[in-house]
Amino acid sequence: MNFDLTDEQNVLADLAQQIFDGLSTIERIADVQAGDGFDRQLWNELAKAGLLGLCVPEEYGGLAMNAVELSLVLEKQGKTIAQVPLWSSSVAAMTLAEYADTALQALVLPNVCDGTTILSVAIANIGANDAMNPSVVATDTDGGVRLVGSKPAVAYAQYAHFVLVSAKRADGSIVLALVDTDARGVTLNAVNGSDLQPQANMDFDVVVPTSHIVAGAASDGRDALRWMHERSLVALCAIQLGVAQGSIALTAEHVRTRHQFGKPLSAQQAVAVRAADAYITTEAMRVTTLNAAWRLAEGFDARQDVLVAMYWATEGGHSVVLAGQHLHGGVGADISYPVHRFFLWGIQISTQLGGASQHLARLGKLIAAR
Amino acid sequence: MLMHIGDSPEEAAFRDHARTWLAQHAPLYSDDASQWHDDLGGHVNACKKWQHVLYDNGWAGISWPKQFGGRGGTSLQASIFAEEQSKFDVATGSFAVSLGMVGPTLMAHGTPEQHAEFLQPMLRGDHVWCQLFSEPNAGSDLANIGTRAVLDGDTWIVNGQKVWTSFGQFSDYGILLTRTEPESPKHKGITYFILDMKSAGIEVRPLVQITGVAHFNEVFLSDVRIPAANVLGQVNNGWAVANTTLTSERAFIGGGGSSWTVEALIETAQKLGRTSDPRVRQKLAAAYARAQTLTYLGYRLRTASSLGLMPGPEMFVMKLAYARHWEKTMDTAMEILGADATLWGEHSIDSGQWQHHLLSQFAIRLGGGTNEIQQNIIGERGLGLPREPSVDRDLPWRELVKG
Repeated sequence: MNFDLTDEQNVLADLAQQIFDGLSTIERIADVQAGDGFDRQLWNELAKAGLLGLCVPEEYGGLAMNAVELSLVLEKQGKTIAQVPLWSSSVAAMTLAEYADTALQALVLPNVCDGTTILSVAIANIGANDAMNPSVVATDTDGGVRLVGSKPAVAYAQYAHFVLVSAKRADGSIVLALVDTDARGVTLNAVNGSDLQPQANMDFDVVVPTSHIVAGAASDGRDALRWMHERSLVALCAIQLGVAQGSIALTAEHVRTRHQFGKPLSAQQAVAVRAADAYITTEAMRVTTLNAAWRLAEGFDARQDVLVAMYWATEGGHSVVLAGQHLHGGVGADISYPVHRFFLWGIQISTQLGGASQHLARLGKLIAAR
Repeated sequence: MLMHIGDSPEEAAFRDHARTWLAQHAPLYSDDASQWHDDLGGHVNACKKWQHVLYDNGWAGISWPKQFGGRGGTSLQASIFAEEQSKFDVATGSFAVSLGMVGPTLMAHGTPEQHAEFLQPMLRGDHVWCQLFSEPNAGSDLANIGTRAVLDGDTWIVNGQKVWTSFGQFSDYGILLTRTEPESPKHKGITYFILDMKSAGIEVRPLVQITGVAHFNEVFLSDVRIPAANVLGQVNNGWAVANTTLTSERAFIGGGGSSWTVEALIETAQKLGRTSDPRVRQKLAAAYARAQTLTYLGYRLRTASSLGLMPGPEMFVMKLAYARHWEKTMDTAMEILGADATLWGEHSIDSGQWQHHLLSQFAIRLGGGTNEIQQNIIGERGLGLPREPSVDRDLPWRELVKG
């Protein structure tokens, strides 16, 4: 039993924090949002520090780490609401490292580490959004697989060189394909996200060559899709943990320093108590996210653990950013003050994860159905 | 050491060893019913019998040093054993104070004579101990206690009243906080005693609670004489000694082995055919998700204690999270029991234990610092909010507003 970080993991988390704190300042985020929404300066610094290749094997220039370390770095990103496609590019790279053949790995992964190739994952689907029932149809053709259909809200797709896309054959089997965003038959429509980060809806009518089929070329790629999906979800939980911490830190500072009637706001117990509850919830998010990431990294069955982490990230994360927004009073509604960004991210991630009642319904079936 | 959320190979081997031994012995000492009903005396006897068996087989005081009669193991081993033990219906409750709180305090602050006199019988389960800390006018502000002890030759004479004394009516010894220097600020003039509960001048009045059990008592102390040799630590330095007790109490609460589990509630729901209802399943899932956070917070506490580090925020988050989990899960339990929830005791499903747990939630919500006190502490230590103004910290206790 050792539920604590190693020295190496602590050093990594400190390094990430230094980079995000140093570069992703409130002024900088406003500038990035006034531009194209992607902080390339920060992206280059992350590349220099090796963090873009965090989960890439060493032979391709990466650090060969795993879901726990990725979570630690993403948590720091969430704390500073830094606008870079880190989770989506990292999870795509992990999935390639796990499932793609070496030729495809060698083609893509070295440039992921130096930041010149950006990846994304299309985890959402049109309609009921069941990850295992993709809204893109796959048909085997000469030399590859034809994909027809759409994927909504793909993170930073307009800046990505490749996107991992899941699709379903008529027989129900799954294909996981690395789609070149410049290929003919791939259409991107940039859309506004509620978290103010870049994303795009994607339409496909494209033949992906067999060399770029990551899983399911000759069989069912279901396991690979689940593998990628679980890591995507835990990555979002980790960002949400950082978002909650960022919100609560700003809130504590506000209620400590803002005086009304000659006393700090926090002298009102109703204020202090609500902030304390947000803190407790954040700790619940931390331990459940770390546990889920660790179980994934160890290769254990983590279905229940991922659902528990998602429940806390959605229900808990939502309540924390709401408390942060509320305790700021009118200041929270002023977009020249940063706290609203945490609220926007918190709500967006809750929605991306799918909402708490869905997680409870699935978890309830796993633990109690007979 | 790498992160590992679960047993190491050595810990797994220890767990197997403990499980095997428990499977052979624990069923013979099952105390299924008495702990949920009003036979508290029967429960105490069951606790004593089981503790004797633990002692005779080398399982008492797993993390206590061998010099004090313990097994000389690790705190992680103690937690593992408690977890495995909680899967059986053996009785342990009446030794929570002695083994969880008094033992660690005695080991840290006691004299060699006190060690020799008290520790071994405590481990063997010969003596029940109670905690005489809270008073009618000093609960949340424990440092405000007013029970007076005055030195007369080599004997202290004690007068005052204590309350919320668990198992007081069955206790052989108590740990007692008294005011010995009223002219000093409230934290400075306190002395900590070991009290023989058979001393003259002690009246124990059981308080029958909403559960029907008289777990708590009022204890009246009238000219009770305590030999000076029974001071634990230094005279007027009792607050430091009491802090060891309170820290041990929190660690004990974090040590695992609670009296109910979500898994048991799921089994009950399945037995009653209630898990085909998706709403019931969702409530069970929420209970499960809450329980997981407590498990992992507990793991972090255990990790810190096994590495000799100061625990992080989980220490003060845990009790509050546990109290809330208890409240919400018992509401779910009542919903699952349906009409049966209106029955009481042996007439109800699972010997009425869910009704008992519903009603006993007040102990965890209020004991060891109320939920609201915990929230204040979290605000101060977790978020760095300004402390509540403490106007009385440096004033002589004699001048403070009481009650």
